[in-house]
Amino acid sequence: MVDIAFLAISGLIIVSAIFALEVKELIYGAVGLAFSLIGVAGLFILLGADYVAMFQISVYVGAVVVLILFTIMLVRRESGKIVEQEEPSRLGRGGALVAGLVALAMAGAVIMLMPGSVEAPALYQVTLRELGRSLASSYAVPLVILGLLIGATVVGGLTLVKVEREEKSDGATQ
Amino acid sequence: MVLDVWSLVAIFEILVFLVAFPLLLFGWLMGEKGRDPIRDAPFESGQTRLGEARQRYMMQYYPYLIMFIAFDVVAMFLFTWGLAFLTVSLTQNYLFLIFIVVLIAPLAYALYLSGKREFW
Amino acid sequence: MTSLILPAPQEIVNLAVRIITSRTFFEVVFFPGFLNVMLSAAFLTWLERKVLARVQLRIGPLYAGPSGILQPIADGVKLMFKQMIFPELADMKLLMLCALGLMLLAFAPAVAIPFGEGLVIANMDVGLVYVFAVMSLFPSVILLIGWGSNSKYPFLGGLRSLFQQVAYEVPMWLSVLGIVMMTGTLNLTKIVEAQQRLWFVIPQILGFAVFFTAALAELERTPFDLPEAESELVMGWMTELTGPAFMLGFLAMYAKLYIMSALITTLFLGGWSGFGFVPQPVWFVLKTFIVASVIIIIRGAFPRVRVDILLRAGWTRLLLLALANIFVTVALIISGLGWVWRI
Repeated sequence: MVDIAFLAISGLIIVSAIFALEVKELIYGAVGLAFSLIGVAGLFILLGADYVAMFQISVYVGAVVVLILFTIMLVRRESGKIVEQEEPSRLGRGGALVAGLVALAMAGAVIMLMPGSVEAPALYQVTLRELGRSLASSYAVPLVILGLLIGATVVGGLTLVKVEREEKSDGATQ
Repeated sequence: MVLDVWSLVAIFEILVFLVAFPLLLFGWLMGEKGRDPIRDAPFESGQTRLGEARQRYMMQYYPYLIMFIAFDVVAMFLFTWGLAFLTVSLTQNYLFLIFIVVLIAPLAYALYLSGKREFW
Repeated sequence: MTSLILPAPQEIVNLAVRIITSRTFFEVVFFPGFLNVMLSAAFLTWLERKVLARVQLRIGPLYAGPSGILQPIADGVKLMFKQMIFPELADMKLLMLCALGLMLLAFAPAVAIPFGEGLVIANMDVGLVYVFAVMSLFPSVILLIGWGSNSKYPFLGGLRSLFQQVAYEVPMWLSVLGIVMMTGTLNLTKIVEAQQRLWFVIPQILGFAVFFTAALAELERTPFDLPEAESELVMGWMTELTGPAFMLGFLAMYAKLYIMSALITTLFLGGWSGFGFVPQPVWFVLKTFIVASVIIIIRGAFPRVRVDILLRAGWTRLLLLALANIFVTVALIISGLGWVWRI
């Protein structure tokens, strides 16, 4: 039985990703990335992880893509064509060939080793309440460390981004 | 046909699209066409366009965006905590509060950075 | 797993009849689905003009139908026939795509909001975060419209809108955390059911205040309507949307107003609960329109907030108030009043 939803969502992800890579205008690339990430959220839904799918949309498409868009819009001066197409170098072509061969080998291995009928193992559905409880009890310390990590990432990112302008002689800023 | 929750969302969205797109198409077909250099100029309240539109306007609020990503992730964890709140003992809830408090310092730093315009 | 089974060709007519007469079709298309949101959004344009007019001691639309009630239809027809101006520097493909996207996003949360007991299109167990996820997609679409217009006013409007919505989304989520803690569910139907004895606006008064303020900021309404500051930025990020594209954007803004008012009603004002023999959906729609009217009156009563004050207030004071609400909720739950909102 062919699962149409899975095919459609996978198609969306792949097509948007290819679009994001091939298009010349960076902003369109970010839009393609957004659609690709929405497709990933769709995959989460197909797997029954509704909550993760919602936050995938909220965090990735709602925040990360926004950050990418903002950075593209405000850091680049020129509009329109920014990415120039260059002829792929020999190293690049060799790398692409190797990657293609590896992909073919993996696909062949999967097809040859696949049993007659494929059944997904029974999913152990973790309810959100259990997830929250385990986060608060067993994983409390990793959670606090995660909070520290997020904080450190934020501080590090901000420190990298800010530009120290030199003070003028009378202390006036630019 | 099995119609679970998400299929209904998809059907609803397709319905909205099927109504909105013809509206747009119909309006585009019905309206006047033809380009007029004065009318097609960017709107600047009657003046001719001066300068580029896409500049570095609001870079000083960049820290807010980064904080938003951080708090977005935090909100994900906080909602799971909120769901499990009634079932967990009190001391374990305190650890979650520490999780929130730990993020106050980066927030303060981001606020400080966005207040000082000379950094941008 | 979601699987769509395609029927054999000769059964399609039977299937079509069964679909059209099914309850799901009625819910999706008529109430509480598409036509409900569409007509309510159009009605809200009329309501806004009338209420705002009364606040400002004038009358508002008067001639199109009794008391101007057909004004939205007149506006819609007019906008459909207006020319869509393609500015020379703007990226119209992107703008039209984003205008469509605005419509899709504005209507999307309607599927999860319960209009009555069992009267919800999609009873999601993650309904609340679904609504928030959809709302979080608005800033990127608005940013694209602002950038795609390639003109100073829309671009600034788009940037301001982005920062404003992003700043107020975090307090919005945290203010609802109190309700999630009290009810232990993200399902909007169960949240309404938990308010049978007491509406959440009372124990969660702080959360209600924070959520209402954050919702005003999300809707870009005064006192937070800087992205559309008429005296400063013309129409803000919608400046270069004209004709039918503008109609879509405009309708999307009012649909968003309807959805947010419905969400406030669901979370804090007891949803479809009421007394007497009035049917539940009527209660829900009544409360929603009262909330929308309050939002409209606020537009007429308050001046605009400056952008840096707005952003700073969202990230500091409103966030701290939302966190304070969490502590208040913890205190409430510990004190043993849980029987009030237990289902």
